[in-house]
Amino acid sequence: MVDILTPTTPDQLREAVGWALGAKTPLEVIGSGSKRSFGHAVQADTVLDCSALSGILFYQPEELVISARVGTPLADIKAALAEKNQQFHFEPGNFPALLGDGAATDAGTIGGLVATNIAGPRRIKVGAARDHVLGFEAISGRAEDFKSGGRVMKNVTGFDLSKLMAGSFGTLGVMHTVTLKVMPCDEQSATILVTCDDPKTAGTIMTAALGSENEVSAAAWISSADITSLDVPLALEIGSGLVAVRVEGPTPSVAWRIDALCKHLAQYGETRPLAESYSQRLWQCVADVKPFIPAADASADNASLLWRVSVPPASGGEIAARLMDVTGGRVIMDWAGGLIWLQINGLDAFAQQVRDIAMTVDGQAVLVRAPASMRQRISVFHPENPALARINAKIKDNFDPEGILNPGRLAPSSTMGEGA
Amino acid sequence: MLRMPEPDQHTLAKRKDIIAAMKDIIPTPGGVIVDEDQLRPYECDGLMAYRQLPMIVVLPENTGQVAAILKYCHTHKIRVVPRGAGTGLSGGALPMADAITISMMKFNRVLDIDWDNRAAVVQPGVTNLGITRAVEHNGFYYAPDPSSQIACSIGGNIAENSGGVHCLKYGLTTNNVLGVEMVTIEGDILRVGGKGLDQTGYDLLGLITGSEGLLGIVTEVTVRILRKPETARALLLGFNSSEDGGNCVAEIIAAGIIPGGLEMMDAPAIKATEDFVHAGYPLDVEALLLVELDGPLVEVDYLIDRVGQIATDCGAIYSRISQSEEERLLFWSGRKNAFPAIGRISPDYMCMDGTIPRGRLAEVLTGMQILSQRHGLRVANVFHAGDGNLHPLIMFDANQPGELERAEAFGSDILKLCVQVGGVLSGEHGIGIEKRDLMGEMFTSDDMKHQERIKMAFDEDQLLNPGKVFPTLHGCGELKTLHAKAVADKFPTIPRF
Repeated sequence: MVDILTPTTPDQLREAVGWALGAKTPLEVIGSGSKRSFGHAVQADTVLDCSALSGILFYQPEELVISARVGTPLADIKAALAEKNQQFHFEPGNFPALLGDGAATDAGTIGGLVATNIAGPRRIKVGAARDHVLGFEAISGRAEDFKSGGRVMKNVTGFDLSKLMAGSFGTLGVMHTVTLKVMPCDEQSATILVTCDDPKTAGTIMTAALGSENEVSAAAWISSADITSLDVPLALEIGSGLVAVRVEGPTPSVAWRIDALCKHLAQYGETRPLAESYSQRLWQCVADVKPFIPAADASADNASLLWRVSVPPASGGEIAARLMDVTGGRVIMDWAGGLIWLQINGLDAFAQQVRDIAMTVDGQAVLVRAPASMRQRISVFHPENPALARINAKIKDNFDPEGILNPGRLAPSSTMGEGA
Repeated sequence: MLRMPEPDQHTLAKRKDIIAAMKDIIPTPGGVIVDEDQLRPYECDGLMAYRQLPMIVVLPENTGQVAAILKYCHTHKIRVVPRGAGTGLSGGALPMADAITISMMKFNRVLDIDWDNRAAVVQPGVTNLGITRAVEHNGFYYAPDPSSQIACSIGGNIAENSGGVHCLKYGLTTNNVLGVEMVTIEGDILRVGGKGLDQTGYDLLGLITGSEGLLGIVTEVTVRILRKPETARALLLGFNSSEDGGNCVAEIIAAGIIPGGLEMMDAPAIKATEDFVHAGYPLDVEALLLVELDGPLVEVDYLIDRVGQIATDCGAIYSRISQSEEERLLFWSGRKNAFPAIGRISPDYMCMDGTIPRGRLAEVLTGMQILSQRHGLRVANVFHAGDGNLHPLIMFDANQPGELERAEAFGSDILKLCVQVGGVLSGEHGIGIEKRDLMGEMFTSDDMKHQERIKMAFDEDQLLNPGKVFPTLHGCGELKTLHAKAVADKFPTIPRF
C-alpha cells in the first residue's frame, strides 16, 4: 500500500524528510501530481504530497515579485497576477495535459513548474522558469533547511542554487517556498501569419524575423495538419501550414513593428496580420502545444508518443524536416525553431534516430509522452556527457546522501546513473 | 582584519619545481612570471585595499595548457587563483602567497559569430565591450554592461554574474550566457550549455555563473547577442526627496513600462559628478532619476511622453529630455563617471553593492545618513533604481589612521541594513573577500554548507580560489556527515493518508 505524507507547514515537511532519512525510506515528491508521468517512475512506496503547502505569501506588483508556498495551484497564481495585469514572462503553458495520463488537466503547482523548469513561446526572448526564480527555501535530502537567493532582482550573494533547483525534479531537496519575478503584461500583442508548408522555409522565415530589429517575442511553425486545432478562423481560411510571428509592447510600437515585419517577410510568402484576441488564443495554443494534446478518449490503440527536441534555433527547420522524414511523425516548431515537438503515432519511439539527428547540431531530445513500459527501457532525458554526469552525481550525493528523494525519476531503472 | 588561509610552507618550498613544471607547460617566453617586479601588477584587483604578491603568475594560451596546469595543481595540491582583467571590486582575484595566479588575458579572441542563432563564441579574456565591438557592424550588441565594460573581461563577468544599467529589461550575465567550456581542477574539460536552449541534467551553467572562480576556469563562452534598438532617448527627472523619486520609479513600473535604464543619484552624487563632467545636472534637487527608453522611434517617443506625465504626477521639479544622441550620452556621462567623480573629492572611496526591495529605498537612505554621522564619514549614492541595486560610495582617507577600518565598518553596517529590509549583500560585484565575513548575516550555517557541497562536487581539495566567498570552508568530511539532529526517529506528527 502506498503511504502518503501530507505536510502542511515547513516544519512538518522537515519532519517528514527527517523520518524518511532515518527510516531510509525513499519518497516520491509531488505537488498536485500533474506531471508525475513525465520522466521515469519513482521507486518509492511513500508519497510526499506537497499540495497542502499552499498559499501566496506576498505579492508586490510594483516590486515585480511574488512569493508562494510550492503547493499553490498555478491557476491561482496566474489569476492573482492577471488581476494586476501582470504575468510570468516565461509564459508557461498547460504542460500536464500533454502527458495524456488523465492525472490532471490543469497546469499543476508553482513548485512543480519550477522543479521542471517549463517555459512557453516567449522563452526565445526572456528565458525559462530558471531565469525568473529569485529565491527558494527547501529541505534537502539531509533533512536540513536551506535557502538561496532572495526577493530582489539582482543578486550574486553566494552560489545561485535557485538555478540548480529549477529543473532538478525534486531530486536534491523539497522546496516549500519559491519567489519569482513577474512582469507587466504588454499593452498590446499582435501576430502576423506567413503562409508556409515547408519546415525548412519556416526555419528561414523565423530566423529572418528574429534577426530583424522588431523585437519578436515568439515565432512558431504549425503544419497544415494541425491548424484546425488552433481555433483561429484566419488560420483555417489560409488553409495551409503557417509561420506565426508575435510582437508585443506599446500600441504604436506594435503597429509599427507589425508593418515592418510584414514587409520584411513578404518575400517568403503571403503575410496576414491577426486580430489581437485571436493572437492571444493562438499563442495559448502554442504554449499548450494544443494540437498534440491527446484526446480524452485516447486508448492504447491510437496512442501517440511525444518528443521535445531542443536545438540551436536556426537549425530547427532542417532538423524538423529530417525528423518528419525518418519517423513519419508530425511537428510543431516553437522558439523560432529552437524547440521541436515531434508526435509519432504507434509505439516505435525511434529513440536512437531522433537523438542522433538532434545531436548532429548538438541538440537534445526528451521523450515527454510514452507508456510507462517504454519509459522503463528508454531514457526519457537526453543521455548526459559522462564528465557532467559525474559532477551531477556528486551534487546529488551531497544533497541527498541516502537517495531518498525521487529515486529513479531522472534515469530508467535499468541504469544506475543518477542525475541523467 | 580579514584572515586568509595560512600559506602552505610545503608548497612554498617547492616553488622552483613548480616554476619548472609551469615552464614546461607554457614554453612561450613571458608565459610564467616569477620576478617580484613583474608580479607586482597582479598583487590586487579592483579592491585595492588588499594586496598580496602571488607565488607566481601564469598566462596560458589555450585550453590544453589550462587543463595541464590545473591537473598539475590538483596532483600536487597547489592552490590556484583565477584572474580575468582584474577589475573586480570584491577581491575575488586577490592572490595568495602560496598560490598560482592564472591570468586568462591571452584568451582574447572572438572565435565565431553565429548571426542566425544570434550568438557569439568568444574566449574569456575578450572584454565585455569587445563583444559588442565585434558584432555592432551588423546592428547587434551584447546587453549586460557593467560600468567597467571597457576593461572587464567576459570571463570575469561570468565569475561575478555582472550586471550593469540595463538589467531590469535585459537581464544579468546569467540570463545572457548560453554556454561555456570550463576546465575543472582535475583537468577535465567540460562543455556546459550551448546554442540550444534546453539542457538535460542539473543547471550547471546557472551554478557556474556567479561562482567567483571557485568551481573551475572558463576557457570559452557563448553569449546571446541582441539587435541594437533603433533608437534610445533619456530623461533627466529631478525631485525634492528620494521618496518622491522612488515613488516615481514605482509608478513607472506599475504603469507597465520597463525602461532600458532607470538610475537614481542622491544630492552628493549629483554635485560630485556635475562638478566633474558638467553633464548639466540640476544642483537644486535631492534626487535625480535618469530614465532611458529604447526601441523603435515611435515607441520611444510614446513612452517618453508617458514617463514625463508620470513624473509630473509624482511631483518632479525638473525634467529634461535628450534631444540628440550627443545629449543622451552626456546625460549618461555623469552617471557613468560617478565613481571617479567621487574619487576627485575624496582621497579614497569604497564602493558598496547591496540590493534592496525598491520600496524600502527612502528608509535605507535615511538609515545610511544616521550611519554616516555615527561613523563620521561622508557617503554618496548611485542606485540602479529599476532593480534595487544600491552603490553607496563611502568617502575616506586611508592615510588617516583608522579611517579605512571605519569605512569598512560603515560599509558592513550598510550591507546589514540591506539584509534587514529584505535585500542581499551583493547585487553584481560578488562576495569575494570583501563581503565574505558578512555571509552569516544572510545565510545560516546550513545554508552555507549546502553551497559548500556544490564546491565539494567540483573541487574536493578546495584548491580553487580559497578564502573567497565563504567565511570558513568546512572540511569535506564534515560536510558529508549526516547530522543526527536532522534524522527524526519518532513518527512525524504530520497528516498521513
